[in-house]
Amino acid sequence: MEQSGTSTRLQAAVQDLASGVVSVLRGGDHTRVVLTAGTEGEAGDLALAAVRVLGADAMLPGLLLAIPPDPAEVAAFRKAVEAYPPRADAAPTVRWSHWGMARTLQRIDPSSGPPDEPGAGWLDEAGWQSLTHQLAVLAPLALPGEDCAVSRAAVLRPVDVARGFVRAVRRRDWRQAAGAGRWLTLLPGVPDTLGLESGLNFVELMGGQDPQVALHVQAARLMRTGARL
Amino acid sequence: MTDTRLIHTVGADALEWLWAHRDGFRLEPDADPEVGFLERFKPVGELALICKVLFREGVAGSRQAWLARQLLDHAWRETLDGGAMLVRGQRTEPLSPIPFEVYLPFRELGYNRPEVERAVALNHRLDSWQAYETPPTRRLALSAFQRRFGLTPRPPEPEALRPTWLARTPEPWTVEGHIAYDITHCVFHLTDWGENPGGLPPDIADYLTTWLPAWIDDWLDLERWDLLGELLVVDACLPRPTLDEPAWRAFAAAQRPDGAMPAIRTMPEGDEQAVFDVVYHSTLVAAFASVLATSRALTELSRAS
Repeated sequence: MEQSGTSTRLQAAVQDLASGVVSVLRGGDHTRVVLTAGTEGEAGDLALAAVRVLGADAMLPGLLLAIPPDPAEVAAFRKAVEAYPPRADAAPTVRWSHWGMARTLQRIDPSSGPPDEPGAGWLDEAGWQSLTHQLAVLAPLALPGEDCAVSRAAVLRPVDVARGFVRAVRRRDWRQAAGAGRWLTLLPGVPDTLGLESGLNFVELMGGQDPQVALHVQAARLMRTGARL
Repeated sequence: MTDTRLIHTVGADALEWLWAHRDGFRLEPDADPEVGFLERFKPVGELALICKVLFREGVAGSRQAWLARQLLDHAWRETLDGGAMLVRGQRTEPLSPIPFEVYLPFRELGYNRPEVERAVALNHRLDSWQAYETPPTRRLALSAFQRRFGLTPRPPEPEALRPTWLARTPEPWTVEGHIAYDITHCVFHLTDWGENPGGLPPDIADYLTTWLPAWIDDWLDLERWDLLGELLVVDACLPRPTLDEPAWRAFAAAQRPDGAMPAIRTMPEGDEQAVFDVVYHSTLVAAFASVLATSRALTELSRAS
């Protein structure tokens, strides 16, 4: 019971954090996401874990909107990066998610040094269904101008990711659809008949009450209208 | 690529079931006028169209070609009473295109009923027949059938195609069950039920090549065998069919040992007629998909060798 209670609280913390990011991306009242990882005790641990779960997107407004980073937020983000290094046997998505956070840290503070890229060979073997699912999990890596092994794998397969988007919408898996749509916004060669822009609006209409869905849709929208890092 | 034997066996078994249950294709001469006598013609028309393809394709094997011909004979002689039932249907509802649609595949195989021919020729001259309100895919079907009958299609097929869903190549993520059936039937009519894959305009072939895999994956996952079978027919009509292996394996696994193909998930329960009415279509579609996919697989093999 305690396990599931912790899990529920963590999920709630992740959603709160995602809501904060969405609000800033939409140009709402907040000018920055309030990362509370400096808090001591259980609440602090939970906030830190939430940053790790949301990954690099916790710092997305600073990158996409070119808002100068708040030192306290950067410190909290750095703490999350350092507190949760991937285990030696971690899944590729876990390793890449962590890499994405380290990469974001380096963008904010170039003195951090570039992180080493994990391998991306598992994506080469993946069918279009699995490829789209894995890319959606790694949607925080879908950033304008990002050049890493995962984004290079995505660039090679725009039609496969587009099919995966269709599949995710049909399955009403809005998070996967939003993540795939965010990638598609950046990929050349997406078939025009996909109707990506309307598709993202549809995903937002149907699943946008989930802040993690809204986050990807809003990120895609900003990138489509020319946001650069 | 999927094992051709597996694809072939699905059709061979389906045809055995259809032959064993041929009495299920029945009309109801005393049908309630509210339901209409012509309601039960649809299964007979589908049987004829598909058996004609089976008979013509020549890859089904001698037993299957013989069964297809026997089924056509049975439907013409017994179910339609040598075409007399088509005449009766036409006299019941003179403007209905249904007797014409059912008659066409029989006529193409040499069966003949002069009264039906005369009614078709007369109806074809009527503005009322051209103005007859139908969904766009059905309108396309009627134009295609008029051409096959030797009449000038009214409206011409390119014009009839334009208002269909598929011709506009819309957002593929909006496809649900009804739209999917509109897509498959549009392809059937454009290709003369698979006999002429070249009838697909290039933009529609490109569109289907891109998005069909996503739809096949989805209806496979939902175990909607009837629709999956129709989508596998569409695949076999494309310039480069995928003969999707997971889909064909699951389709074959869903088929019952007696050859029946459930429409959705598993076989329904009930008396024989009720079960027939639910699964005859998916079983016909299984035979149809099988013969076209087998034919395309053999073509690919002969190209490769």
